[in-house]
Amino acid sequence: MSTIILWILLPLLISALILPLLKKHVLLVKVIFMVSILLSTIFSWWVVINGADIVNTSVVFGSWDVSIGIEFKFTWIAMVFSAFVMSAASLVSLYALSDMSHHIEEKRFASYATLVLLMLFAINGITFTNDIFNMYVFMEILSITSAAIISIKHSKANYLASFRYLMLNSIGSISILMAIAFLYMVSGQLNMDALALALNQAYIDYPTVIAMAMIFMLVGFGIKAAMFPLHVWLPDAHSNAPSPSSALLSGVVVKVYIILVIRMMHLVYRFSWFEALNLNSALSIFALLGILAGSLFAMGQKDIKRMLAYSSIAQIGYLFLGISLGTSAGLSATLFHIMTHGVLKIGLFLSVGAFIYQTHKRRIIELEGIGYEMPLTLTVFGFSALGLIGIPGTMGFMSKFYLSTALINSTIPLALIIVILSSFLNAVYYMPIIINGFLKDNHRRDKDFGVDKLPITMKISLISLLVINVSIGLFPSFLKDVIDMAVNTMMRGGL
Amino acid sequence: MIEQILSHMNYIGAMALFVIGLHTVLTHSNLVKRIIGLNIMETAVFLFFVSIGTITNGISPIFTPTTQTGFINPIPSALILTGIVVAVSISAYSLSLIIKIYEFTKSCELKDILEDNS
Repeated sequence: MSTIILWILLPLLISALILPLLKKHVLLVKVIFMVSILLSTIFSWWVVINGADIVNTSVVFGSWDVSIGIEFKFTWIAMVFSAFVMSAASLVSLYALSDMSHHIEEKRFASYATLVLLMLFAINGITFTNDIFNMYVFMEILSITSAAIISIKHSKANYLASFRYLMLNSIGSISILMAIAFLYMVSGQLNMDALALALNQAYIDYPTVIAMAMIFMLVGFGIKAAMFPLHVWLPDAHSNAPSPSSALLSGVVVKVYIILVIRMMHLVYRFSWFEALNLNSALSIFALLGILAGSLFAMGQKDIKRMLAYSSIAQIGYLFLGISLGTSAGLSATLFHIMTHGVLKIGLFLSVGAFIYQTHKRRIIELEGIGYEMPLTLTVFGFSALGLIGIPGTMGFMSKFYLSTALINSTIPLALIIVILSSFLNAVYYMPIIINGFLKDNHRRDKDFGVDKLPITMKISLISLLVINVSIGLFPSFLKDVIDMAVNTMMRGGL
Repeated sequence: MIEQILSHMNYIGAMALFVIGLHTVLTHSNLVKRIIGLNIMETAVFLFFVSIGTITNGISPIFTPTTQTGFINPIPSALILTGIVVAVSISAYSLSLIIKIYEFTKSCELKDILEDNS
């Protein structure tokens, strides 16, 4: 039963290996690419639906002893996150089938597909693995592939952005490896469950070493997840990448590291150790600064993709704010916001990608009156942006609601002021685009209303994102229940 | 005091290399030298990781009828073997990026690259 994990991973890996051989047959490449991602998505959903039966089962590869071998373990948090990643990735891939030909030659689609498949493979590996060194190896695969889907486009800006991303990401990985070395030094374990047990004893004997490991790990994940003062790589990387890559990078890749921070904090270390060093207060201060700074930077941007990238920094601030509370309400708000920001930011990046696809314009001022030419795309953009502002009826409202309730019951209720202020700031830079897009004259239109001239695959993925956004915004309880269960089982298992 | 420093030489060396590498990655203008800095950082971690698995007068962990104790811990060495492979692939990819950047700007210096807006 638990070997189902291979059914999620293998379609991705196998087609990543065979696609480079089929380079010349573009149509075949696209079919195999899409089918393998859909297969993985179906299996990851099957896992969630049958979650009650397979939770806490595990696979140890090669029949080694758990302490030496690599263990993949089904936890609720991993199953839910994997289903989210695969669903988001299948929508983005559907979009990429048509859109990538605008960024790279048609022949090179196989290279792009290989990179995306390996990236998803690494993400699923990170999510399910229970071995801390294996996590590091998957993280490095993720670093290379996620930098490579930026540099796939031939331009100086892309290569530079990709280089900077790779350098900072590698510094992050090395810090994390250093932390793993510290942990191995005091405990002699690499399996996360065994490590957690061993650390309980080791914390009494070597608190300084474990504190060093905690700080190295927080800095490493902070760089990789673009926590505020360490975010410098993000705007270039996310704004220069081809639109489907930007969507994957900000919707999915950044979130992986946030999930890892949560798992490390509660399943390997204990949250009280972070409180003893005041690391959680530091985390919430940086998160609040990030929320404000991200929004302020976003207001000053002229390029729309750059604006979205800075807005991501603010949203990542919300995620860290929820983590830093350390309560189960805060964690489930963070997990809900991971999904919300995933859906909304993917919607925003894909609809901006559609603007660029049809009109080749990406400066905010040039998008005035775009609603006459592309009403559907601007509607998707509008609903996603309203979600990030936090208008009721969208997914974003619910996640802000959960975060605010978690904040009120925490030790820092005043942080709520900054969350509300940030909603206003979001409105300041998102609303003008929607209003000017629908209402302002643009002198280019020859008739009153056009229809978006987009390929059908792009339309399908845009509309699905809109439907997911609104339907979860109206009926959030299903998702919230699953997330609450994931958080509660994790807190019980870890504490 | 000196004895304590000498017995923890591996930690001091690893941390010194880590800081030197970090300084090079963050401040150097030449992109190739940045990669060298990254490799120094990686080497620091590898040194640290391997050295925590050793014991004084340890022997390599191969069971024979005569030697059955006194082995060093083989797991850190095995892990670092993987780490080296990962480090090589990161270096290879970033060097290939530098080649591409050089094709555009004919320079590896960051300040030239940022000035050149072609």
